[in-house]
Amino acid sequence: MNHMNRRQFVQSISSAAVAGTMLRSAGAKALSANDRVRVGVIGPGSRGQELIRQLLRVPDVEIAAVCDVYEPRFAQVNKLVGRQVPAYKDYRELLARKDIDAVVVSTPVALHAEHVIAAVRSGRPVYGEKALGFTPDDCKNIVAEVEKSGQVFQIGHEYRYAAWVQESIRRIHEGRIGEPTHVYAYWHRNNNWRRPVPQPDPGGKLEHLINWRLYRETSGGLLTELGSHHIDIANWVFGEQPSNVLGTTSIVKYHDGRTVGDNVQAVFKYSKGRRLVFSSLTDNASVGNQLWIYGTEGSVQLTIEDATFFYEPKTHQAVPAQGEVVQRGITTGASYQTKNEMPYRGPGEKVETPNAEDPTLTAIRSFVQSIRTKQKPLADVRAGYASAIATSIGNQAIAQENALVVPKLS
Amino acid sequence: MLPELKPRCSILLRRSCAKAWEAIFLLIVSVLISKAVAQSAPQLFTLTHPAMGTVFTLYIYAASREDADAKANPVFDEIDRLDDLLSNYKETSELSRINRLAAAQTVTTDPETFEFLSDSLQWSARSDGAFDITVGELMKAWGFFRRQGRIPTGAEFAKLREETGWKKVKLDAATRTVRFTSPGIELDPGGIGKGFAVDKAVVVLRSEQVTAAMLSAGGSTVYALGAPPGKTGWKVEVPDPRNPKSVLSVVTLRDTSLSSANCSEKHFILNGHLYCHIMDPKTLRPVEGMLQVTVTDPSATNSDALSNVLFVRRPEENVPLMESLPGDSALVITGTQQKATCHRMNWKAPVAPGHC
Repeated sequence: MNHMNRRQFVQSISSAAVAGTMLRSAGAKALSANDRVRVGVIGPGSRGQELIRQLLRVPDVEIAAVCDVYEPRFAQVNKLVGRQVPAYKDYRELLARKDIDAVVVSTPVALHAEHVIAAVRSGRPVYGEKALGFTPDDCKNIVAEVEKSGQVFQIGHEYRYAAWVQESIRRIHEGRIGEPTHVYAYWHRNNNWRRPVPQPDPGGKLEHLINWRLYRETSGGLLTELGSHHIDIANWVFGEQPSNVLGTTSIVKYHDGRTVGDNVQAVFKYSKGRRLVFSSLTDNASVGNQLWIYGTEGSVQLTIEDATFFYEPKTHQAVPAQGEVVQRGITTGASYQTKNEMPYRGPGEKVETPNAEDPTLTAIRSFVQSIRTKQKPLADVRAGYASAIATSIGNQAIAQENALVVPKLS
Repeated sequence: MLPELKPRCSILLRRSCAKAWEAIFLLIVSVLISKAVAQSAPQLFTLTHPAMGTVFTLYIYAASREDADAKANPVFDEIDRLDDLLSNYKETSELSRINRLAAAQTVTTDPETFEFLSDSLQWSARSDGAFDITVGELMKAWGFFRRQGRIPTGAEFAKLREETGWKKVKLDAATRTVRFTSPGIELDPGGIGKGFAVDKAVVVLRSEQVTAAMLSAGGSTVYALGAPPGKTGWKVEVPDPRNPKSVLSVVTLRDTSLSSANCSEKHFILNGHLYCHIMDPKTLRPVEGMLQVTVTDPSATNSDALSNVLFVRRPEENVPLMESLPGDSALVITGTQQKATCHRMNWKAPVAPGHC
């Protein structure tokens, strides 16, 4: 497959192919380029507040109202925004306001379907945090409702907006690392993934409200909360969603009552034998958050701040030595090449991009622009589906874990 | 042709100095730990976290190791968040975005970053430009950004004059925007960022109902929250800048911050002359004739900035400013390695004789 054909192929489901598509107008009034965009935020917790912070960096955007069942969030939002923001405990009251032009949904994943569907039905563009939905039905229903509404919907896969990720994917699709066959994705941390809970907390009500990520009823665990970003990038690289998944999880360190694992490993199958291997640890952070995309002619390392290319040697040639061979301890010049069985430890070819800003800011600015232009976002609802459904089914695979027993010697 | 440069300060000296500070803290802390253990709970725990090019240390009284971890995690998360906001080493930070764009366009920023810029410019105005966050290019030209000390050329100085100056940063509170009126301006948070982060982290500690903790940003800015059980405050020793192992003065802090600026912390030596990393924005050169400044103020942001002001200007120039801050105190040591002079500005703690 030549480069052009490969690109055409991978774009068959790539959102890049649909970027630029105009959505039919529905619901809320069209905004002109200079109109102030008034945003309502459902779920201004830690992630929601980060989105608010980024919204405040976009000119002519106003945080019009927030909604949360946990009231201490309201004071935090007021401090963040620098003024009193109208606040509600029921999202329906927020959606009933006439002065809201767009809605951000950053609630726990199990509530995404309810909140996103209500928001698009209210006729507003929606920025929905990942993962798109919790259950397979949630994921399908959100896609159906968003597409029926004709509204702008952007999923919170902000790495799609990182300049260095976009440039890397462009080069990968151009064939710079040959045929990409494997993605090895790591999100390793060294903390308990736990947020402090005010005491006293009779019945553990606040614990479940604040640490919802730690409980199976409300969370897909590390695979959903962290892995969905990586699955999205693998989907983008491979030009399709995975077809199958197998995985395992355990609690190796934090025996604190949580019901999701504190580490996860999952393998996602793509067509033509291609694979995504995802690993998340929470007791060792040396690898951090990074993806390696391996191709037949090179590798790419993607991080939250940059991207670096490495190349496989083109050929192996036996060349007769001339006289005495002296091996120097220091090699000068950057070849960026991997070779032999030892890990390559030299420099790589860093992807230089003029705009290396925080991807969440780029994603949010792009969303605001989509509100004004009605242009379909790069991270659209179908991109959200392709990663969310993989996490949802992935968690089923992990729960069923069809593992064979390895017999011990008697 | 430039002479050969030997940035001897370098990391080693800086580390040794930082280690001296840490050693002093650890000494105090170890004494406190032994006492705390004897009295049972609450115990004193020490946690460290690398951020902002240094190591933050949190000393905290907690019921258990798990409790200490649980309380420390959000504090360090907050420091990381501020590092992501203010770092001039991270291209993705908000400050780097402003540095990239503000000469070409008006940049809308969030209220917190705007507050940081406002605080910085207010200190510039208050100090008649002795404090200045527009020293980014200056720090690079002198080789401090990558710790490769050098002296700028004459042509570079002319350019630096254009690229430095807090009055070239225009803020508009109504629109929360920032604009540079001259190209080449680069903001460097070095003189105030750690203090700003410490203040924000202390807000987190207070929200966790922590009543006794001390947070240190690599020893250069310290905040003492409450007091250890049975004590009136946290003891901090001020070292002799010429002999960091000996103690010049001991202060007891409670709900206040202490910041220090020290020439031996980061510098390079060229032809026997020591070039300090703290710049005088007016001369575009490293400050000369100053050894150490230690200052207390209830706000870590303020003590951090003020320590730089006191370091850049002569002590007599700072008298009106210090008189306008009656709650603050400072111990300023001017001079050289051979001869040092101490200047006490409302500094009530005894100063050991024979040092200056």
